[in-house]
Amino acid sequence: MAMSPPSSPQAAFGRGVLVSLPIAVGIVPFGLVTGIAGIKAGLSAAEVTLMSWLVFAGAAQLVALQLIGAGASIFFVWLATLVVNLRYIMYSSALSRPLETLSGRMKWLAAFLMVDQNFALALGQYGVLGPRLTPWFYLGIGAVLWLNWVVATYLGALLGARLPEAWALDFAIPLCFLVLLVPAVQNRPSLAAALVGGLVSTALIGLPYRSGLFIGALVGIWAGVWLENRAGAQGGR
Amino acid sequence: MSDLERWITLLGMTLIAFALRYGPLVMLERFQLPPNLQQALRYVPAATLAGLVFPALLAPGGQWAIGLDNERLLAGMIAALVAWRFRNILLTLVVGMGALWLLQWMGV
Repeated sequence: MAMSPPSSPQAAFGRGVLVSLPIAVGIVPFGLVTGIAGIKAGLSAAEVTLMSWLVFAGAAQLVALQLIGAGASIFFVWLATLVVNLRYIMYSSALSRPLETLSGRMKWLAAFLMVDQNFALALGQYGVLGPRLTPWFYLGIGAVLWLNWVVATYLGALLGARLPEAWALDFAIPLCFLVLLVPAVQNRPSLAAALVGGLVSTALIGLPYRSGLFIGALVGIWAGVWLENRAGAQGGR
Repeated sequence: MSDLERWITLLGMTLIAFALRYGPLVMLERFQLPPNLQQALRYVPAATLAGLVFPALLAPGGQWAIGLDNERLLAGMIAALVAWRFRNILLTLVVGMGALWLLQWMGV
């Protein structure tokens, strides 16, 4: 960002809003796909929009909607939500320091609005913005992306009922995940985690209710850790 | 699912999504996650997201389908290239869906 850093919490919030606008445009199709998936899974437009309002986690919502559509039990929908959202433990841990100046009540809001994008941007700008401004920059991004997500889901749900089967729109779902997967692969251990996790999940695709996803994730994580430790033992990457 | 089951599902999803985001944020002011767990968490995004992408491309019909007759695998590989080069959701969706439609139309 070439702009001079903001000097007040209000200005930091505004900067967050500004920075998030192009990102929000890019997320619109993801929200549309989620709305369409909700209709396909048998939810009403109001229900899937409420889901986006409350859960605000695209990947988890898409998996949950696929499972609901396939007739999975509540437990497996919850398990999938847990597995797909595990990365938030990492985000939340890393953000505890940058967001520490927020009041207790604002931390509820900050947690509610946490997504991949404001995590990455707030952590990246913490060195420039410091403890007083970073939380407001983060909240500005989160507010825009949340509103954008809810509206895009609703529009997708309105559209969803009118789209023909032959368009193979279910293929848009893995494409949305693909865009998130690519930046998550940053080095050899994370590449190993992705390859092993992906292949094991595919091999176990016959297991009921996507439980192969859970096992695949665990084996993939183990592969990443193993490779990192081995590289470390040999004297760095 | 009945109406009631859908509402229970939604309520649980809301609580799970919130708890994972809120817990570490407030607890880590006092505690630190063990280093082993921190290390493992770094690989969660790559492993889980690949677990969502790979089966849809490698086994779209529920069984392994690695070959040139698998339109979704080919279209997905083209989309992966675009995602890697441009990091853009819209462009990836347009190219990926366009490739799938083209391949289906050609009857590969």
